[in-house]
Amino acid sequence: MKIETMFRHTREAFKSLKRNTWMTFAAVSAVAVTLLIFGIFLVFAFNISYMASELDKQVAIRISLSQTATNDDIDQLREKIENDSAVKSVDFIPKEDGLKRMKEQWGEDEKFLKGLENDNPLPDILEVQAKNPQQTESLANKLSKYNFVEHVDFGQGVTDRLLDLSGWVRNVVLIFGLGLAVLAAFLISNTIKLTIFARRREIEIMRLVGASNWFIRWPFFIEGGMIGVLGAIVPVTVVLLGYNAVIGILGAGEAYSFFKLLGMWPLSLYVAGITIILGVFIGVWGSLISIRKFLRI
Amino acid sequence: MIEMHDVYKVYGNGVKALNGVDMKIDQGEFVYVVGPSGSGKSTFIRLMYREEKPTHGVILINGVNVKRVRDWKIPYLRRNIGVVFQDYKLLPNMTAYENVAFAMEAVEAPKRKIRRRVQEVLELVGLHDRMSALPSQLSGGEQQRVSIARAMVNNPSFVIADEPTGNLDPENSWDIMYLLEEINAQGTTVVMATHNREIVNTMRKRVIAIEQGVVVRDEHQGEYGYED
Ligand SMILES: Nc1ncnc2c1ncn2[C@@H]1O[C@H](COP(=O)(O)OP(=O)(O)OP(=O)(O)O)[C@@H](O)[C@H]1O
Ligand SMILES: [Mg+2]
Repeated sequence: MKIETMFRHTREAFKSLKRNTWMTFAAVSAVAVTLLIFGIFLVFAFNISYMASELDKQVAIRISLSQTATNDDIDQLREKIENDSAVKSVDFIPKEDGLKRMKEQWGEDEKFLKGLENDNPLPDILEVQAKNPQQTESLANKLSKYNFVEHVDFGQGVTDRLLDLSGWVRNVVLIFGLGLAVLAAFLISNTIKLTIFARRREIEIMRLVGASNWFIRWPFFIEGGMIGVLGAIVPVTVVLLGYNAVIGILGAGEAYSFFKLLGMWPLSLYVAGITIILGVFIGVWGSLISIRKFLRI
Repeated sequence: MIEMHDVYKVYGNGVKALNGVDMKIDQGEFVYVVGPSGSGKSTFIRLMYREEKPTHGVILINGVNVKRVRDWKIPYLRRNIGVVFQDYKLLPNMTAYENVAFAMEAVEAPKRKIRRRVQEVLELVGLHDRMSALPSQLSGGEQQRVSIARAMVNNPSFVIADEPTGNLDPENSWDIMYLLEEINAQGTTVVMATHNREIVNTMRKRVIAIEQGVVVRDEHQGEYGYED
């Protein structure tokens, strides 16, 4: 398409936005509310996944030992690990203790575990703590290659629970947000409907003289998209300023044991980008509803 | 060239507007379409520029079967057909110049070309000195001339007019007819539905008479043939 034509479509879209001031305002507000909720959620989601990955690095490494390892083998392995400069501490958890812990966790269903005392299928465990939490992952990789090491895992328990929680929050927000997005798209489709109505004579003439279908549609898509962008500006600003204030109070990137926030950059770029794109998407979706229903081309 | 072969049109409400029309209009012809009210003239016209689809039968415009043309290609078909109505259909908030230019902008013609061509057609219809007047500041005859200029501005092969003089007094009606005759003399095919007996009988062009959706008469240098 020619740049000249694009300018023309954009001009038309602006004219229409001004013509239906109140409907535009209502639609922009609806988009803004939707995106505000979405933006806040986005900041949470980014931070939770960041915290989870940080936690992964901090927690202990659990080494399951091979059933064939003798007590001597285990002692040797333990000594070797303790002498590693990256290791802070090593704990031995015999399989009997493992079974006891499991019983505590399972409570009522303990009877399933009856009889296992004599033929305990659980492995002996070595629990290793790295000196530097950042090195947990590389240390785990190293340990997994040693003799009598069946397999190695770290962090899953805590981080999984954290991610579960964030998944649950996400579902609630998604359903709620989707409802709001539908409402916003509906309001946008209504403004577009007004525009189509206001321009019906022009549209009739355009069709008569052979304007292509896209030439006729474009201004309405642009109008919807602009409502989406306008609706994104306020929530993006509010969310980022708000987050900046939160960081100011709590401090970003500081190594509390658990609570560690992302800095403004590049988070602000992601949040702004994703929110604006979603705004445009809602806007275009709203226009599409009306274009299909009232333009019939 | 416009051809219709065994064309039927039944509207959604069951009204049978055309019942087996066969006819052919050659390039450069001037044709009047006459007939009583409700006989199907406007339907006949609307089928030509593909505002309506035939229920049955084949319509060929320059050899192209319009029924087979994909929806998105119809605009390109229409660029070759200028349409004029009884009520002018001008945009009230645009000047005469802007109304005509609008038709070129809508087909994405280059800006330079638009200015030259719009002035040219406004000169053709004799309105070069009223270019910046709004439709409300123009007489009915002048408005109709603007709409003819708009129909002509993209150089169509056909101009199709549905009762273009229906709202005009005799003097203005004659001005419009001379204009259409001149357009026709330059090679454009003109098809015009009308109730104006005096004009048809004076101009002596080809006349297609439709009654109850059927062509009942098709004569060169024909007459209006009805006493309305
Ligand atoms: N869009 C439509 N939907 C349903 N019926 C229609 C439609 N347009 C026309 N008709 C019917 O089709 C028949 C032919 O109408 P048409 O407008 O073609 O006649 P006409 O010859 O142009 O009449 P007039 O001289 O009054 O303009 C009429 O009975 C009319 O009521
Ligand atoms: Mg009619």
